[in-house]
Amino acid sequence: MSGALAVFRRELKAYFYSPLAYVILTFFLLVHGYYFSLIVAYLSDPRFPGGKPLELFFGQTIFTWLVLIFAGTFLTMRLISEELRQGTIETLMTAPVSETQVVLGKYFAALGFYLFLWAPTLVYVGIIRYFTPVDWGPIAASYLGLFGIGALFLAVGLFASSTSKNQIVSAIVTFFCLLVLFSCGLMENLVNGETAKRVLGHLNLWQHMDDFAKGIVDTRRLVYYATVSGLFLFLSTRALAAKKWR
Amino acid sequence: MIEAMNLTRRFGGFTAVADVSFAVPEGEIVGILGPNGAGKTTTIRMITGFLPPSSGRVTLGGHDLFGGDVAVRRHLGYLPENVSLYPEMRVEEYLDYRARLEGMDRGAVRRRLPEILDRCLLADVRRQIVGTLSKGYRQRVGLAAAIFHDPRVLVLDEPTVGLDPKQIIAIRELIRELGRKHTLLLSTHILPEVELLCQRVLIFDRGRIVAEGSPEALRERWRGRGSVTVELAAAAPEAAAALAGVAGVEQVAAEGDSGARFRLDCAAGADPRAEIFQLAVAKGWTLLELAAARASLEDVFVRLTTRDGEADAAEEAA
Repeated sequence: MSGALAVFRRELKAYFYSPLAYVILTFFLLVHGYYFSLIVAYLSDPRFPGGKPLELFFGQTIFTWLVLIFAGTFLTMRLISEELRQGTIETLMTAPVSETQVVLGKYFAALGFYLFLWAPTLVYVGIIRYFTPVDWGPIAASYLGLFGIGALFLAVGLFASSTSKNQIVSAIVTFFCLLVLFSCGLMENLVNGETAKRVLGHLNLWQHMDDFAKGIVDTRRLVYYATVSGLFLFLSTRALAAKKWR
Repeated sequence: MIEAMNLTRRFGGFTAVADVSFAVPEGEIVGILGPNGAGKTTTIRMITGFLPPSSGRVTLGGHDLFGGDVAVRRHLGYLPENVSLYPEMRVEEYLDYRARLEGMDRGAVRRRLPEILDRCLLADVRRQIVGTLSKGYRQRVGLAAAIFHDPRVLVLDEPTVGLDPKQIIAIRELIRELGRKHTLLLSTHILPEVELLCQRVLIFDRGRIVAEGSPEALRERWRGRGSVTVELAAAAPEAAAALAGVAGVEQVAAEGDSGARFRLDCAAGADPRAEIFQLAVAKGWTLLELAAARASLEDVFVRLTTRDGEADAAEEAA
């Protein structure tokens, strides 16, 4: 597994060497800072009903999803596409590492950077905690949800990246797939069939995140993230192997 | 050490490499020669396990390279044709990464690094960012990465492309030195390089091996088909006709634009120089130049690769 570790370390460093990472980090901080200040202003106003600030911060909001979908797209688009375009794939795939090791190394690097993106939000938790007691359960559940859904999105993005040597194409494919993945659950309320409603209800990521923010952890959802992530990672290894046959 | 058995590679309807077999025994330096599009790089990509063959097998030290065990590739060092590196990394960082991919640990990398930087003339750029290096330096970084883990087999696809003459000499010296310890497969356009370095040569054309042997043996085989250059102070048409009549001359080709300067292709084993001299004396022509060209590897190469082309064209016309 030392090969996977070498890929992981290189890939994680590559994030910090590229300007893209800092653009994403800045965007992330701006969106979150703005949104957090909105929540605090909203809850401080006596005319509005009260609520839990962190529940609002993680659930019930399009901001979380914007960030998730953009991060899923931009963090993964170059992972394999760039190797294909630059031709570095040739030395990588003639080194004693398997496709699985390459895919896992890259995936965990993306996941690591993704978690790093969320790290500054712990400051908000600290700020809230300073002024008022907090319920740690829902907060832990929220981060678990962000981790699970992020892991799912990054796996989809990695697969898209393995299908094209063009980063822009990878990004567009990822963005489209993530939109479908995200919005198919929202169709729950639009279909009539009982079975369709139930199936889509299970896939409703918006509802998932909402529940995580309330502290509800449903293991079926975690299994869903894990299996679909696993599937896309497997597909990535196959796509990478298939590149050789062209 | 490396054995290729009946390698064939098709891309769609196009056959890039057709039924190529060869073996490189331990410790030998073998050169691959051939014009562009002859299938050299495709063959090398199959030999290194990057491109699976449409049919045939490659073994490295007796292990099938496409058998699913990636550890076999640890015995292999590879410098691809287009050396592509990660532009954002520093030289030593990149070498460290490549060595780690090969399974070396931190301590081993640290011990090996100074020696490699020194051998590949990279010591002065060790902290430089790869993207800012010149082509020659990048080539050497690629070579350093290929030999870092001390592989038993080295495959180098055009290792001296883009280097200046001084660097070429240094890299050739390095390759020759590597050849003492490693099995080496070298692809190149540059014929003197092959003559200088390789014990055996495979000449590729149109996806097949058209000749194989040591540079000396190949020259020997084609020596008879040498040529003679003649320059006479005489009327060109008359001289050409007379020269064509000399025994052993197969073809007379005018050389240069002015005067009677010819290149005569000779029959195998024939040396018409004495007769040409007699002819000049008899006709009263002044002989300005008379020289026999020894068949170089280049001649062998040109003959082999163009003759085949002409034969194919004739076939198509028929």
